Amino acid sequence: MIPVIYASDAFNERISHFMDFDISGEVYSSLIVMGIIVILAIIVGIQAHFHNPLKKTKGLLFLAETGVNFFDGQVEKMMGPKFKGFGGFVLAIAVYLFLAFIFGMTGLPSPMTDLAVPLSLGLTTFLMIHLTSVHFTHWKYFKRYVDPNPIFMPINLVSMWSPLISLSLRLFGNAIAGWVLMTILYSSLESLSAMIFTGLAAGLSSIWIAPIITPILHCYFDLFAGFIQTTVFIFFSMILIGQEGPQDIEQELSLRGGN
Amino acid sequence: MEAAWAAAIVMFVALGSAIGEAWISTSAIKAMSRNPEMYSNLRTTLILGCGLTETTAIYSLVVAILIIFVL
Repeated sequence: MIPVIYASDAFNERISHFMDFDISGEVYSSLIVMGIIVILAIIVGIQAHFHNPLKKTKGLLFLAETGVNFFDGQVEKMMGPKFKGFGGFVLAIAVYLFLAFIFGMTGLPSPMTDLAVPLSLGLTTFLMIHLTSVHFTHWKYFKRYVDPNPIFMPINLVSMWSPLISLSLRLFGNAIAGWVLMTILYSSLESLSAMIFTGLAAGLSSIWIAPIITPILHCYFDLFAGFIQTTVFIFFSMILIGQEGPQDIEQELSLRGGN
Repeated sequence: MEAAWAAAIVMFVALGSAIGEAWISTSAIKAMSRNPEMYSNLRTTLILGCGLTETTAIYSLVVAILIIFVL
């Protein structure tokens, strides 16, 4: 097979040992995605500052306003009225997750293929669940481990970790599945093209068939899967965190009166 | 050689996921035909349910890849 240099492999090789740090290339891709989001946020902030509130918004400001309204409405609907300022958290995670899933299409290593990145997203939801529970119930937080009977403590201890494992491995598994399939497809289409166009020069004969077939698969594996996984992640996060708040007025009064 | 057998046996998990998603789609189509004005709500719930059901099949794919390339 004629060797073709992938941009992602070259990037990984050069930047993994940058300043003796030994951090993998996917984490640097994640930092690039965060840089893009910071630049977009600064542009939106400046545009919002100089915008006349009586006129209609256009362009990036319109997208930002739609997103904020949509996520505020979803948080209000799914988590109840006690979680007023939560829309920002959900919007930030949704934007970062979607852009990080799509970033593999640029040729740089995809951030979600390293377990560190989905694990950190799962850890933020995991910490929010437990911190919200402590915030609302103070010391009665420990009742969830002895709930019907102290015999159930091992089962409750295991069920504490299951949201973390399911959320992070779902993202990681989808990203790895897409990446493995696309890598196999790219190398086999290169060999096919090299067999068909044997007359050309050494590096030029293997690049003709792959760009015709793979964009359709990138549409499914990157765009569609990224959209669905973002929706599932934020839906799950909202439901799990919303369950920790007081469910109805009697529970809220008992929590307040008992303290 | 044994790695190939182990990975092939692990992928049987995808059968349950396929049957589950077919069941979800059937219920969604029946509900849509009974109540056509709830179409977009039902479609969102359908896609969400499919995304959750696929999770176990994705776990088995990660285990199969791990068996072939790492262990």
